Amino acid sequence: MPLFSVFMASSGGHVLFNIGPFAVNSYMTTMVAITIVIAVMGILAGRNIKTVPSGLQNVAEALLEMLNNFLTSLMGPKGARQYGPLLGTFFIFILFCNYSGLLPMSGHLPGLAAPTSTLSVTAGLAIIVFFCTHIFGIKEHGMHYFGHFLKPVAFMLPLMIIEELVRPLSLSLRLYGNIFGEETVTAQIFGLVPLGVPIVMQALSVLMGLVQAGVFMILAAVYISGATGESH
Amino acid sequence: MEHLAVALAIGISTIGPGLGQGIAASKAFEGMARQPEAAGNIRTSMILALAFMEALTIYGLLIAFMIMP
Repeated sequence: MPLFSVFMASSGGHVLFNIGPFAVNSYMTTMVAITIVIAVMGILAGRNIKTVPSGLQNVAEALLEMLNNFLTSLMGPKGARQYGPLLGTFFIFILFCNYSGLLPMSGHLPGLAAPTSTLSVTAGLAIIVFFCTHIFGIKEHGMHYFGHFLKPVAFMLPLMIIEELVRPLSLSLRLYGNIFGEETVTAQIFGLVPLGVPIVMQALSVLMGLVQAGVFMILAAVYISGATGESH
Repeated sequence: MEHLAVALAIGISTIGPGLGQGIAASKAFEGMARQPEAAGNIRTSMILALAFMEALTIYGLLIAFMIMP
């Protein structure tokens, strides 16, 4: 199992402690911390909502409006209203995960490593997208949903099924490959020239983290609107 | 020898998508410059197209991991 050993050997995969039969590593602690941070921010932003927003509520509303406008342009107002919460959650969570790799000593300090730089996390997210796509499709169209696998011509069925199965694979590998590669390159450059030069790579990482979180959300939105759309 | 195979797997698999992404981005920017009012639509489609091309490189990376000694 050389593939598996590579993923386990990457920097944050050491087991920190055990809870019963489950081994806990740095990715999991960081993920829990990110979840708590997002939840606390959400509670603080929504604690006393005013008509004229200020402070954190202002930031949250601006972000929400931006996401909503973007999703509306992708899947229409109805789709954005219905699936926006799920897709927006993906975006915010992945964005925080990507940016946690920019924190000082991330990946080397025990308990701190970017969760999206391991395949387990990204595969989990992609599998959620896979099941959501088909469940939403069945909810929208009933049993007619399975008809679209036979749509252009019936003998395309094996190809259509392979296409559906490749989607979560490429979705998870894209996010994992980008973030893992970025982290590795930054670490290597830090090893060569510790002062100054890694900042350039980190600045690039800020942009790439945003783009990758956006790409994940766009692709999930396209898959979901493809399954729930009017075309079949 | 296996190390060379790993390096070639990821190295060669970056060439095609690199060229493709360059062409796609240049055409998209051309379109945006000609028609600034369509810039938003073009940008979203471009990012989507780039993401699909990038998947090919990522498959190369996967193969590189799988044959890594």
